[in-house]
Amino acid sequence: MTAEPYASASGLVERSAAAYVSAVPDQPQDDGFFGPASVTWRVTSDLSAPVAGLRSLLMQALHPLAMAGVDQHSDWRLDPVGRLAATSAYEATVTFGDRASATRVAERVRAIHTRVRGVDTVTGQAYAASDPALLLWVHVALVDSALAASKLFGTPLADAKADAYVREMTIAAELLGVPHEIIPASVAELRRYFADVRGELRCTPAAAESMGYLLDPAGLGEDIAELWQDIRDAAIATLPGWAREMYGYPAPDPVTAERRTEIRQALGVLDAVFLAEPGVLEARQRLALRMRSAARVAGG
Amino acid sequence: MKPQARKLGIGVVAGCVSIAAVALLRGKASGRRTARLRVERGLTALRLVARGGARYASNAPRLFAAAGEHRQQLRNDLALQTAEDVAATLGTMKGVLMKLGQMASYIDDGLTPAARRTLSRLQDSVPPMSPELAAQVVTEELGRPPEQAFATWDPEPIAAASIGQVHRAITLDGRAVAVKVQYPGIAETIEADLGNVALLRRMLKISAPSQDVDGLLAELRERITEELDYRAEARNQQLFARYYEGHPTIHVPKIIEELSTRRLVTSDLADGARFAELASWSQAERDLAAETIYRFVFRSLYEMHAFNGDPHPGNYLFGGGGRVTFLDFGLVKHFTDDELRPLVEMVKHLCVENDPEAFRRAMVEAGFLRADTPLPTDMIVEHMALFYDTVRERGPRTMTGEYASAVTRRFFDFRSPLAAYAAIPRSYVILQRINLGLFALLGELSATADWRCIAEEIWPFVQAPPCTPMGAAEATWRAARRDFGEARRAVR
Repeated sequence: MTAEPYASASGLVERSAAAYVSAVPDQPQDDGFFGPASVTWRVTSDLSAPVAGLRSLLMQALHPLAMAGVDQHSDWRLDPVGRLAATSAYEATVTFGDRASATRVAERVRAIHTRVRGVDTVTGQAYAASDPALLLWVHVALVDSALAASKLFGTPLADAKADAYVREMTIAAELLGVPHEIIPASVAELRRYFADVRGELRCTPAAAESMGYLLDPAGLGEDIAELWQDIRDAAIATLPGWAREMYGYPAPDPVTAERRTEIRQALGVLDAVFLAEPGVLEARQRLALRMRSAARVAGG
Repeated sequence: MKPQARKLGIGVVAGCVSIAAVALLRGKASGRRTARLRVERGLTALRLVARGGARYASNAPRLFAAAGEHRQQLRNDLALQTAEDVAATLGTMKGVLMKLGQMASYIDDGLTPAARRTLSRLQDSVPPMSPELAAQVVTEELGRPPEQAFATWDPEPIAAASIGQVHRAITLDGRAVAVKVQYPGIAETIEADLGNVALLRRMLKISAPSQDVDGLLAELRERITEELDYRAEARNQQLFARYYEGHPTIHVPKIIEELSTRRLVTSDLADGARFAELASWSQAERDLAAETIYRFVFRSLYEMHAFNGDPHPGNYLFGGGGRVTFLDFGLVKHFTDDELRPLVEMVKHLCVENDPEAFRRAMVEAGFLRADTPLPTDMIVEHMALFYDTVRERGPRTMTGEYASAVTRRFFDFRSPLAAYAAIPRSYVILQRINLGLFALLGELSATADWRCIAEEIWPFVQAPPCTPMGAAEATWRAARRDFGEARRAVR
């Protein structure tokens, strides 16, 4: 344990909040690639979002080449909180930003990706972060995680809305250079993609180490660690059985109604904490106003 | 195992609000602890709750419009339109956090600026109901829409209230009234979240099964649950209104019972200056207002055996000449004779009879002090005397913010040798609001009076003749009340 427990954890909340606030535009030039009437805005604002975020990372790490890219190039070990905040900022900008902002951050990430290449020591395969197949995996893991987390711990989407979400989100993958035609555009296509890609997935030592850290981050205060534990239990509960088995996690207890309520209560407290960070309430209100007004237009 | 109490201390000192709030959630059961630590933890827990929760608008009729027109428009645009909106805003512990924070602020007012910001943010995050949603609640409660239930109904709320909002209206028989409308579904939501006692205990950072802790938790839950049913509040307000009817300076708006239900409280509309305006009034006016508030608190306690647990600046309207209207009776605590007796004994023995040993016995009887406390009585008296400082001797005294802070600090002085042997019994938890709220309020007014002299009028074991003009007017009022004893019995 190197960091002062509270300082480290407080950085997580504060920096994630700052990232979120900076990504929600004050005076957008347009509604961006999704817009206030989109399912994506709703899903991204769901109470279950922290669970979705953690599950995304757990899923993404199971692709050896995606993991190798992070492991060999990212400063994530040195500054995990900064790395997570940067990812949050990126996702929030693509989701809520206007088209120019979303395009700008996507271009920046693409530029970084061109430099991220190497050879995975486990599989011996060469990899490049700009490889559409890797980008697609990362994308699908995120989309699937949002659906899984909201289904179990948030506001579940009706089937048509879930399809709409997957379809809407294809643009996010395109922004990073994935050809449109290979991106799953419905829940059924998402399932087929997972079936196809399963054989490439495995838990490498780098994944085990990184995720081990993420599930029980050193330097977190005991109390934060316990909150984190709820989020982490929830994330693991939403994983597909095969992913859990790859990591060697024991099968979780079934999520009873009572346990679901408990997790949601934990998420509610976390949300209240987040809300208290500077600018978060105003950012939320900006989004809520736009979503309201879009709903009014849609409702006639 | 790490020393948890110390670690919590760090959180408190660092003023790391968000994290302390998270810490609320996940207290881990740790092993054995000394008595000293248990006391420390109990009090620390309350501080933490205060950080995580919110000093919710509830009792403070914070005007929605206070922050200007733009803000008003914003709030209208964000208004809660459905019960689902209410659940999304105040469900999943958020409403409970706010209420717990509010409750804790009755116990520990020593919030850091950062903690205050957290509380007010949570509070700000709750928009008003849309006019349609408020009307829907009225319709469900009264069986007809507000336009029919009232002669005139103002669809725009005039203030935020305890888990609801206040509308102006005129009744069918022409009374101008204030109608407090509860957010739909909020009672069920908070009740459900309060039902998770295990989680609450963790939120309180309380893990060791200890009677004190469970008692405290039970008291907090009971008070919050009581607030969810506006009928209890209406009943309490009506008791106070009847008790103080005709009082020269104390005014409590009457409840219109047929328009009050579980989710509605309708009372006479009151008018007056807000606390903030008082700052521009003469010191003489401020002194009179303070005297009225002081008399109200202690008359209610000693004669009605009731304490309105929220001496918050927002709950008063000022009319000049010492006239004060008291609003919001959502947090009233009634005391039994047995609960009140040791408190009376303590005052009597310390301030009037000057009998330290008897004072100490009364403290033990009340449960404030362990019987086996191995400390000399004069040390205990010296520690406690500060709380009685304003009434130990006669003569004019000016209440100051410094005094209020000193009382607060003394109360939470963990380093005191007394801390290991002291406790706050459940029944008296809310009474700390006298120290932490009333004195701060009077301190803000820089109010001067002979508090001892006024107290002697009120102390049941003295009942001295009036010593101020207000006291004289009050004595006339009391003498005129034929049914004085009857009213008092009715209150119990």
